[in-house]
This record gives sequence, C-alpha cells and structure tokens, in this order.
Amino acid sequence: MHPRTAKNRQNSYVTRIPEARRTRSSAWSSLWLLTRRDLKVRYSTSLLGYLWSILDPLLMSLIYWFIFTQVFQRTVGEAPYIVFLLTALLPWVWFNGAVSDSTRAFLRDVKLVRSVALPRWIWIGRIVASKGVEFLLSLPVLVVFAIFTGASVGWGLLLFPVGVIMLATLVLGIGLLVAPLTVFFRDFERAMKLLLRVLFYASPIIYGASDLPSFAQPLAWLNPLSGIFSLFRAGFFPDQLDWGLVAASAAFTAAVLVIGAAVFRRTIGGVLKEL
Amino acid sequence: MTDDQHPVIIEAENLGVRFRRNRGSRRSFKDLFAGRSRRTRPGEFWALRGVSFTVAPGEAIGVVGRNGQGKSTLLKLVAGVLLPDEGGVRVNGGVAPLIELTGGFVGDLTVRDNVALTAGLHGLSRREISARFDDIIDFAGAADVIDTPFKHLSSGMKVRVAFAVVSQLDEPVLLVDEVLAVGDRAFRAKCYRRIEELLGEGKTLFLVSHNERDLRRFCSRGLYLDGGRLVLDADINAVIERYNVDHPA
Repeated sequence: MHPRTAKNRQNSYVTRIPEARRTRSSAWSSLWLLTRRDLKVRYSTSLLGYLWSILDPLLMSLIYWFIFTQVFQRTVGEAPYIVFLLTALLPWVWFNGAVSDSTRAFLRDVKLVRSVALPRWIWIGRIVASKGVEFLLSLPVLVVFAIFTGASVGWGLLLFPVGVIMLATLVLGIGLLVAPLTVFFRDFERAMKLLLRVLFYASPIIYGASDLPSFAQPLAWLNPLSGIFSLFRAGFFPDQLDWGLVAASAAFTAAVLVIGAAVFRRTIGGVLKEL
Repeated sequence: MTDDQHPVIIEAENLGVRFRRNRGSRRSFKDLFAGRSRRTRPGEFWALRGVSFTVAPGEAIGVVGRNGQGKSTLLKLVAGVLLPDEGGVRVNGGVAPLIELTGGFVGDLTVRDNVALTAGLHGLSRREISARFDDIIDFAGAADVIDTPFKHLSSGMKVRVAFAVVSQLDEPVLLVDEVLAVGDRAFRAKCYRRIEELLGEGKTLFLVSHNERDLRRFCSRGLYLDGGRLVLDADINAVIERYNVDHPA
C-alpha cells in the first residue's frame, strides 16, 4: 500500500491510505462521471440538446464563409474555404468553451467541491473532457462538409489526433492556471472573455498562419494555437502544416501545463478556504 | 503507521488552518504564493491551531464548542475538503462525510441519476451502486419520486435522499455535522437508528453537535474546542460538564 500524500504547503499534509476503491482508477472514473453529468445536464435540459453543440460552430462558419467568399474576394486560406474554416473553428469552440468555463470551475459547483474529497485537478479536467466530448460529437459536421465539397484528404489526417491531445493538454494547463486565480480575483472572468475574443482574431482560424504579413509573423509563433490548428488542418491542407510552429506550440503547451500545475498546487489550499 | 496493538484510524498532528478575517480586504499576488511563511499576516486568524489527537477504529467522538470555535473546520480537514496550513491529518481509510449533504446533487437530473452520481463520486463502483440502489431509495422513502428531477423534491426529501446515499457508503469513518436537525421526527429517528447500526458494525463516528442528548447517546469520547485550540480530550460526560461550566446557559 502506498499512502497518497497531498503536499500543499511545506509543513502540512493530508494523507489517505487508499483502500481498494480509492485508487488512481477511481480518480479517472470520477472524472468520467462528472463529464457524463455535465453532458447529461446540458442535453437533458434543452430541447435541441445535441444540436446546440454543432449549431454554434456551424452558424459561425456559414457567416464567415458568406462574408469572405461572397461579399469579399477571399485572399486568405484555401479552398474549399468552409472546410478550411471548420477544421480550426471546431477546435476553437472547444478551446473557447473550456477556457471560459474553467474560470468558473470552482464557483459553479461550490457545494460539490466543498463536500467531496476528490483529487482537485478533476474539477478542471472534467471541463476539458466534457467540452472535448462535445468537440468529438461535432466532427460529423466537418465530415459532411468535406464530402459535400469534395475536399481532398491526405495522410496528414493522422495528425488530427495529435492535435486533439495537444489542445487538451493546453486547455488543461490554462484551466489549472485560470481557475484558482478567478476565485481570488473575480475580475479574471471578464478579462478572460475579452482576451478570448482578441485571441479568436489573433489565431489562424479565418486565415492561415502563413497569410499573416511578415511583421505579424511573431504573433503566430507566440500563439500556441497556430501550431495546433495547423495539425488539425494537415489532413485537408498539407501546405498549412508548419513543423516549426508545431514545435513552438508543443514547447508552449508543455510550459503552460508545468506552470499551471505548479500554480494550482500552490494555491489550492487557499481556494478551498475561499469557497 | 498502524501497529497491530494500537490501531489508529485518524491521526491529527499539530493541525492548524488560518482564515482571512474579512473577505473584502485586498489580496495581492504576493499573498497568494507566500504559503511558505508561517507567521500570521495582519487580517488573518487561526481557526484551528496545534490540534493533535488519535482515534482508534470504532470510537465515537463528539466535537463540542461554541459557534465559530473550529468544529466544522476540524471536520472538513478530516474529510479532506479543506487543506491544513500547518501539521496534518492522516486517515487510514475512506470517509463518508455527512457535510453539505445535498452538495453533490444536481437539480436538473432525476433522483436515480443523482444517487448513481453521488455514490460514484464517493467511490462506489457501478456494481455496488446497483446492488445498494433499492436499499437507498427504500431508506429515503423515495420510491415515488425516483424519476422526478431533484429540484422538484421537497427540501426534506432532498436531505433524506442525500443521507440515504452517504450512509450507505460503507466507509470506515462517518463524519456528521449537525445535519440531523432537518427532516421530520420519524426520519430523524430512522437516521439515529442507522447511525447506531453503523456504530454497531464497528464504524468510527465523528459528530459535531450542540445537542447534549445526541452527544451522550452516540459518543464515548469528546473533543472540546475553544478559540481554535483543543482544550479538553476526555470522556464525553467530562467534556460536556466542562463546556457547561465554561459557558453556562
């Protein structure tokens, strides 16, 4: 038996000697339970249920497709433009939803956090997971449009799951960072909303990273989403794949996760008191 | 940490936790990360400090003290839903917390979903849940409302369902925080019987209460907290006597 000790401060500890059921696997099953709960609540309380998770990205894509191919003459991105949009917009909806929800990770279920002693990262993990499941459920939209527009598909499609893993890691890292800080500084919630709106246009979603003018290229390198979105696009648009950007994104993602985990550990004791 | 002669199920050692006095006061980033320094900063106070005790399996312990003297805080630390700033607490086994009873329940989901969810979060496997489901519903007397959304239940029924789930968890330690004040008399009697049953099975009980009768009925040992310090750790009757001397009604 390995006692599991949660060190939150240097001189303090809470130890539980795990029994058969209090093992690592129970953390994952709790994560899955909470994820299922989130989805169940979302789908059982609204009439359209599942449709909502595809309606948002679908509508957005159609708007941008209309503006940039029908109103303006499109000079950025690649054809078929609707597929080009969806390959980045669907992951963006995941990123956006999970990051903005994680500002409320503790506040939304205060009572639950106060009454169940689960490994605390689960409160963030369940948001990443439930938004991730919604993302996977929205993929049929992409498939339909890809078939409909006759988009060509290549080996790069194999990089799609890599993109999924990297995005999940990035979102988890950001969530671990943002969730505790929001408990102390409520302003964070609104700041994040603003930041996310800026980030939408600063990320290669309606355009490709290579469409940025040369003076703005550093933006693509600093933004971890550009490398990740290029992985999502690689299957349909091999030219979008830029290994340099991917490497930069991977490094950024790893750093965010490490910093996020460190901040989370350091602040969680205070968070629980504040709730 | 457990030798066979003197098994220990809960071990608190120099336990301390501090809170900020007023929520509104400014908090800086420096504050947030300065967990290492042990001195008390202005505007902070120790809700609990220097509390040490050990509990053997099967003991029933009543925590006594006025409001705001750290009783619930102690319970939360044992439950692991609050982390200490100093010292620590070791629990050799799972805990069934009767704290914030209805906390894990979601208004929009049915009683059936909620029971499965809460039991699952407290560590029961799917098989265990389905084996105990009927007992839980039966105990709560909730057979008619199994498929009703939780938010449509009366507040009494909510607590009954919640108590039924947590008391069926079969964990070696039971933490009870004055939840028994709710519910009608018949259900309260049922809860008491259930707690006695659990004690009979050799579970360890940790009870926070202001009710002398409850304390004397269930507990053999008392912890008297005052000003965040453990003032007296003795037989429950001695503890209640001391409390009454210090704070005559």
